[in-house]
Amino acid sequence: MSLDFQSIRQQVKQLGKTAVIREGQLRKIRELAIEILASNDQNLEDLHQKVQDVARNHDPSLRCALPLSEALTASFPLPALPDEMTVLAADGSQITPDRHAEVNFAVINVGAIQMRRGSSDPPSTTTASQLLYDDLLYTSSGTISEALLALMRDQSERTILAELASEAPPPVVTFTDGPMELWGGKAGDSQERVEFQKSLKDYLNALTNLHDMNVITAGYVDKPSANLVVRTLEVAMTPQSELSEIKTSRPLNRVTDRALYRDLLPAGERSALFAMQSQSAKSYAGPLALHFFYLNVGRPGAPYLARVEVPAWVAENQSMLDSLHATLIEQSRMMGARPYPYLLHRAHETAVVSFQDKDQVTQMIIQELRAQGLGIGELSSKQFAKQVEGRTRIKG
Amino acid sequence: MTTIEIGRLLRAGTTGFVVGCRVSQLESPSFGALVRVPVEDQYQIYGLIHDIHIDDDGLVRQLVTAEGIDEAVIADNRVNRNVPIEMSVLAVGYQLEERIFHLLPPRPALSLDTIYLCNDDELRSFTSAGRFGYFRHVLRAADLPVGDLLAAHINQVQAAQVKIGNEDWGIKATQELIVLLRDDYPTLMSVISTLGDAIPDTWNGVKS
Repeated sequence: MSLDFQSIRQQVKQLGKTAVIREGQLRKIRELAIEILASNDQNLEDLHQKVQDVARNHDPSLRCALPLSEALTASFPLPALPDEMTVLAADGSQITPDRHAEVNFAVINVGAIQMRRGSSDPPSTTTASQLLYDDLLYTSSGTISEALLALMRDQSERTILAELASEAPPPVVTFTDGPMELWGGKAGDSQERVEFQKSLKDYLNALTNLHDMNVITAGYVDKPSANLVVRTLEVAMTPQSELSEIKTSRPLNRVTDRALYRDLLPAGERSALFAMQSQSAKSYAGPLALHFFYLNVGRPGAPYLARVEVPAWVAENQSMLDSLHATLIEQSRMMGARPYPYLLHRAHETAVVSFQDKDQVTQMIIQELRAQGLGIGELSSKQFAKQVEGRTRIKG
Repeated sequence: MTTIEIGRLLRAGTTGFVVGCRVSQLESPSFGALVRVPVEDQYQIYGLIHDIHIDDDGLVRQLVTAEGIDEAVIADNRVNRNVPIEMSVLAVGYQLEERIFHLLPPRPALSLDTIYLCNDDELRSFTSAGRFGYFRHVLRAADLPVGDLLAAHINQVQAAQVKIGNEDWGIKATQELIVLLRDDYPTLMSVISTLGDAIPDTWNGVKS
């Protein structure tokens, strides 16, 4: 037993005591947020302008929703699906470098799955695995970071979608798990920033390819915790004279967009479409500009919200938006009581790398190095100790 | 005669083995069918399929809660996902060089050995060797549905024997079972009842 459960128990009791108070406070803040949402329902142009002013003059790092032409409380019913359509999903997984292991390497593994709507043929799966070693494994400050590896994985996901979409019969809908916006590039050393820019460039190229092929693409964020719309409401409720303090002013803190829209969106319906206001969103220009909406993939009486991020070429095309909306609802309903796009789950299953896989790759590398007459590094003493078996008992 | 591959060996012991197969291979094997596993050049093991089971997993359990399951999703789970169909096989004999023995095999088959469904010639060769000695392996397996397993097996062999004019194979097999079970009345009654339901023509032949 590694935890001090007596101490944890006392803290849990304390948590229980304050939870009721916190819940009451949060409910009031949420009600306030809903009021502000309703009062700004049609105030789209002014709010759009105010958000841009704040980002320009008071808080360049402002990350929130930029209202467009659809009312803030609007909801849009489930559209009809085209009879035939190719649906493609991709997901990635990685083996991170382990300095405690005998050999140091990394792997990016991307799985994709393709289904033809209107056909009973089984979907086809594709896996692309890339081993990173030698120069690919190092930056000027040392071994490649987990963040950079994750970036390369995200870029590979979008690239494989573009490759598969180029050979698929149209219309084609593609999606990945998580936001479309790549994260990173701020922290880390200069080499990491260079690598981020390279991954971003490849990622934008893949997106441009998808745009050129007229492919619908999206990022699906399950159980989103962001407060993009709520942050916009905070901007809306802050008087002009206090906007200079907006960076630290959080009157609706702890309310999420999911909590805001939970009771506003009927099952199967989507929210208004917003543009993404953020510093990094500037990298996505023109047809690639990032947009999003919320989607209730749940059932009547059991709402379940996801955020769907789309590029401008999808956001500005009603037919594409409707096809994506209907496809994601159909895909989520395939999973029954726990809605989540079926193909995303299958892409995850296809891509996931297990500990056994990692051990097998390690052994393959060790064998190859030995065959070349080279020495093998040793397991660290720390890792060795962790792998030591527990006490054994004499069977009597 | 065609050779039908029905799967590969997952795990084995002296008294039986488990075969894994794809959904596309499931059309051929059936409960009570005789199968063979070539292990070495002159050595193969025979067995009777006594259970065919399809395991679930988390995704399948979740999918059954959906209102309607898309045909493509069903095909995906049957064709692409790594959930093999498993068949449990009772070892009933082996062949060493040209000779067939109704004894437990000296060595089990190995992982990933290929399992074939016995064709009519092979069925006749195995069941005609000796005097139904392999029945005791079935009768000893108290956990199995012995009556149903024997009925299914006798039905399949009888069809193969009739093709070469050996009409009374089923009657002889049933009479042998009665002899083997003469001291075990409850099992005898259970087996006879099942045989009467499953293969009434043969059973009427035994009574007359």
